[in-house]
Amino acid sequence: MQAVLAQELSKEFSGVRALDSLTLSLPEGSVFGFLGPNGAGKTTTVKLLTGLLAPTGGRCAVLGLDPREQAERVHALCGVMTESARLYPQLSGLENLEFFGELCGMTRAAARARGGELLRRLGLGEAGKRAAGEYSTGMAQRLSLARALLARPRVLFLDEPTSGLDPESAQAVNALIGEQAGQEGVTVFLCTHQLRYAEDLCGCYGILDHGALLAQGDLAGLAKAAGRGSFAAFRLAQGETLPGCEGAGGWWRRPLACPEEMPALVRGAVAAGCSVYEARIETPTLEDVYFSFIGREEGGALL
Amino acid sequence: MKRMLLTLPERAIVRKDLRGVWHTKMVRVTVILVPLLLCFALPAFYLAIAWLAPEDQLATGDFVPFLPNGGEGMTARQMMVTLISQVLGPMFFLMIPLMVSTASAACSFVGEREHSTMETLLLAPVPLRRIFRAKVAACVLLALAAELVSLLAFSLVMAAGSLLFSSPFYFNPAWAVLVFLLAPAVTLFGVTFMVLVSGRSRSSMEAMQTSGYLVLPVILLFAGQFSGLFTLGPLLLLLVFAAVAAADAVLLSAASRAFTPEKLLKG
Ligand SMILES: Nc1ncnc2c1ncn2[C@@H]1O[C@H](COP(=O)(O)OP(=O)(O)OP(=O)(O)O)[C@@H](O)[C@H]1O
Ligand SMILES: [Mg+2]
Repeated sequence: MQAVLAQELSKEFSGVRALDSLTLSLPEGSVFGFLGPNGAGKTTTVKLLTGLLAPTGGRCAVLGLDPREQAERVHALCGVMTESARLYPQLSGLENLEFFGELCGMTRAAARARGGELLRRLGLGEAGKRAAGEYSTGMAQRLSLARALLARPRVLFLDEPTSGLDPESAQAVNALIGEQAGQEGVTVFLCTHQLRYAEDLCGCYGILDHGALLAQGDLAGLAKAAGRGSFAAFRLAQGETLPGCEGAGGWWRRPLACPEEMPALVRGAVAAGCSVYEARIETPTLEDVYFSFIGREEGGALL
Repeated sequence: MKRMLLTLPERAIVRKDLRGVWHTKMVRVTVILVPLLLCFALPAFYLAIAWLAPEDQLATGDFVPFLPNGGEGMTARQMMVTLISQVLGPMFFLMIPLMVSTASAACSFVGEREHSTMETLLLAPVPLRRIFRAKVAACVLLALAAELVSLLAFSLVMAAGSLLFSSPFYFNPAWAVLVFLLAPAVTLFGVTFMVLVSGRSRSSMEAMQTSGYLVLPVILLFAGQFSGLFTLGPLLLLLVFAAVAAADAVLLSAASRAFTPEKLLKG
């Protein structure tokens, strides 16, 4: 059974196509990074998959359940964190978690224990007693994440969980997400703009722009689809050149078909009498890949 | 397994709502001050007038048309007490369910939208119908509690009245219909009306203002007796109850149908 399944999923808002025939299939246990510029349709997708919006076309399922028809069963298995889902300002952080824990069928004591533990993990141990209305943006964000994790969900939908967080909190949040992702069978659907974090956490990605899925796959697959290969790079002494390589800023580069080529290239450089200070394989980063897709799209639009 | 009227998650929502509603100053004032004023202070004030004013200065002649048996065999003071207990009292008493239920519903339903917490609530593994039911139940419970307190306060004042003027205790079949049928029906009316109105209101204050219109029919109904065309006896009140109950059924199903993620999260 697929954790998340979308077939030709579309959503139109009074004439605006927010999502255009998204087809996606994520097996259980995958950690999926959903990337795309502002207005691409990421939040819309999460809301469709969690039953907050009804699709105007196509269908979707979470763990084989229809998020509209069987909303409460889907919600029992999913933890959802979206920016627009806030917590009660007059209740304290911990009371909020107690309340939502009870809604998930936990006893109040169990919800309290689990909530307290999550708050501590997210650096809100002390703040847990304060009214949520007094929280800063970043604190409220972490409280929302704690709420999403309360009932140990099997599928986690996170819409920009680290936007607006300071580096320390972002690290704590990412550590917690990483821990969830590492658990057996837990699927993570992560929408984010922070490509570095996504690269650390996710195993596969989808790149969305203007409601259309441009590419999907793991980093290597995406790099290939984007026509971005690896490079062998050498830093040589000043004034030296390496035949067959292009030089820039003291580094000499040539495309690398596979890592196995590298030792021979290093030997070649040494044999050619070069003073090799550094040699490394440069693989495309998620950022490189992302920009080649988004950039290409923009370029195409200009023509 | 013990069967419960409300499931545990529903109870959690009721508790949370009661707390949130109570936390709102406007509602707290409505729940405490309005019953105190309408069912204790005002009747007590009229009673004091009846007791202190000279007998011949009480213009009781005007009341005669809507007193039982035209007020025969009653002293002017007894007539005054009857007027308080049978005409003004019921009108004041019916304001309580109306005002408390609309105030708490405005706070509970519109507040959820104001604070963007509806989406969080909808993401909980609780069926939509149950969320709706629990929220309505919280408002109804609060209004019923206010009614009970009002009834006790009013009974206290009227007991003093019957002792002072040796007139019969106020509670009669008309009051029974009022307390046990009409007031609960009006409570549900206030809540469901507010839920429907709340869809259009930006803030709970705005929603509250809309509910002001609901007080008007109640005043008209009771003030209509002064025309002498009708007297609100138990039968007529039963008829009014039937009409309100029918309206409740319609509003409840409309409000419940309007309780969908699309309608709740738009805007
Ligand atoms: N309720 C709505 N009514 C009308 N249009 C909407 C609504 N919600 C989203 N849209 C439109 O749908 C498109 C996709 O929006 P969405 O919020 O899914 O983007 P996103 O990828 O989450 O962007 P961001 O990175 O800024 O969060 C946008 O063009 C937006 O204007
Ligand atoms: Mg978004």
